[in-house]
Amino acid sequence: MKLVIIGNGIAGNQVAFDVRAKDPEADILILSAEDVPEYDPCSLPYFLGGECQQTDVFRKTPGDYKAHRIDLRFDARAVSIDPDKKQVTIHTGEEIGYDKLVLAHGGDLFIPPLPGIDNAGVFSCKQLSETRKLAAHNGTGAVVIGSGAIGIEAAEALKRKGYEVYVIELMDWILPSLFDEPTARRLETELTGYGIQVFTHEKVMEIKGDGHVTGVVTDRRTIDCDTVVVATGVVPGTALAKTAGIETGRGIQVNRQMQTNDPDIYACGDCVETIDACTGEIAMFQLKHNAIEQAQVAARHILGEPVRYLGAYAFARAHFFDTHAATFGKTQRALDCVFGDKRIVEREDKNNYLRVMLLDNQIVGGQAIGTFADELGLLIGAMWRKDDFLDIAAKMRTLPKGGAVHAWPMVRLGTLLGM
Amino acid sequence: MNVRREQLSIDPEKCTGCRRCMIACAMKHHGRIDPGLSRVNVIRLESQDLNVPVICMACDTAPCIKVCPMNARIRQANGTVTTNPDVCIGCRACVYICPAGTPRIDPYTGRTMTCDMCEGETEPWCVAACRQEKALTLCPTGAVSHRAARQAAGRTKKFHTCN
Ligand SMILES: Cc1cc2nc3c(=O)[nH]c(=O)nc-3n(C[C@H](O)[C@H](O)[C@H](O)COP(=O)(O)OP(=O)(O)OC[C@H]3O[C@@H](n4cnc5c(N)ncnc54)[C@H](O)[C@@H]3O)c2cc1C
Repeated sequence: MKLVIIGNGIAGNQVAFDVRAKDPEADILILSAEDVPEYDPCSLPYFLGGECQQTDVFRKTPGDYKAHRIDLRFDARAVSIDPDKKQVTIHTGEEIGYDKLVLAHGGDLFIPPLPGIDNAGVFSCKQLSETRKLAAHNGTGAVVIGSGAIGIEAAEALKRKGYEVYVIELMDWILPSLFDEPTARRLETELTGYGIQVFTHEKVMEIKGDGHVTGVVTDRRTIDCDTVVVATGVVPGTALAKTAGIETGRGIQVNRQMQTNDPDIYACGDCVETIDACTGEIAMFQLKHNAIEQAQVAARHILGEPVRYLGAYAFARAHFFDTHAATFGKTQRALDCVFGDKRIVEREDKNNYLRVMLLDNQIVGGQAIGTFADELGLLIGAMWRKDDFLDIAAKMRTLPKGGAVHAWPMVRLGTLLGM
Repeated sequence: MNVRREQLSIDPEKCTGCRRCMIACAMKHHGRIDPGLSRVNVIRLESQDLNVPVICMACDTAPCIKVCPMNARIRQANGTVTTNPDVCIGCRACVYICPAGTPRIDPYTGRTMTCDMCEGETEPWCVAACRQEKALTLCPTGAVSHRAARQAAGRTKKFHTCN
């Protein structure tokens, strides 16, 4: 079997090494648009901020590929797929045949069409090569456009490097897709406390500069700076799939075995749209754990094993300096689009904050800052099990005092929920 | 995948909350009497007067390995999952995703730490410290496994139906 994998990222490598672990015969080729072994994009902000060495971002060494007889082609960007001839064309025009093809090329950074975006001094933090350039840049003032997880992590990293940092967010609060307003406002206060200026509900109009960045103009103010970091989101790569006539929505559409509508073409990672494991809705969580799990499913199916992907789940942490926060499942804003009986449980204790979203008495999401976050996993477990909130509350009231030793996991959960 | 060779089992009913296990663990790993440095955590559930020793169970499909942004959570040869302190940046992703909230945070470095079964010792130190109460015990190979339990249940059924 000739297995061709497009994309040398988290998902691509997982497929390659999983297939190799069980099939010593397969001919495995990874096409990489970059020129380095697998690295973890999640580590990049910490490399940028000097919290780890550049070597720590790598998940593989060149030797790992050799040892597992996986052929890794650097600087080979796939440009089109011909599913009838079973061929992939790369940018040099070379055609490569396959028996099974895996699309694991992730997403592309969304670059807003702003005047002045081509100036020197505009960076991103999505790929290692870009992050290296930003790390080597000597600036003093940076504007981060976008306050998603990547934007906030980049802002922290630049602050550590001694930059004057401004974060500009178009929506009403920071981390808008991960946190609700009450949680985000608290995080915003913490960020400001560390000296990072945050402007929400503000739109960047233009990047000033004549070859080099000199400032950023928003609809409210002009900020002088010499560095701009674009962190406005990642859009799933669907263009390549479209050349093969593969069905796409927001991302590449796949079944529970990670196959596209062409059964010999699989897709996994940031480029696919899947379903939410807990609600069954169409979901696109571009997160590492989902990429890994999807790739594991694809690999097992390629090997002929019966598997079924359970679905993706949202889990993200927000960590900067001494602030620790995490979120999972749905936010209140996401719940606004759903029918049902909704309720929000909140707990607050000094700087610690917990917020749990209930839909028809089941936990469907949660956000926490500080000590409450340390037990957030209990709530994630309750979401998976579809525990009934009213049931737990009723049982908590009727437990015999001191006699309910084996109910301790429930007592712990109930205590966290403030029952 | 390395499956944990032996498993710690906890029995909250027997736990007196003395925290000797925590001191033993801190002694073993840091040479200090400081429960804050322990990988076992005896949690106190006030409403029920309960003490529960909570410890990493090294899930077969450990989610902490997948969510760690630094790839610092590593499955060891003995099946346990531990944090590589050299690359951990203390983001606590492993704490938040853990279904039992077991990883502990080293108060001095901010990095996380979990049970390594005292690799190389005849018995984990926490188990030795709890020899009297037996709230923390060590199960030999296969003793804690649903499969073994189900197989055992099958034998029981056969036994009952044959007679
Ligand atoms: C800065 C940053 C921080 C993050 N932090 C977190 C976090 O804390 N937690 C979390 O869960 N997730 C995080 N993520 C998201 C996580 O990194 C992604 O979900 C994960 O990397 C997706 O894996 P993937 O294999 O689908 O894509 P990628 O890892 O992006 O790999 C895709 C690869 O394909 C290559 N490629 C693209 N097009 C082509 C082509 N045409 N031909 C050949 N090769 C191609 C790319 O060069 C790339 O190497 C973060 C991402 C970034 C950028």
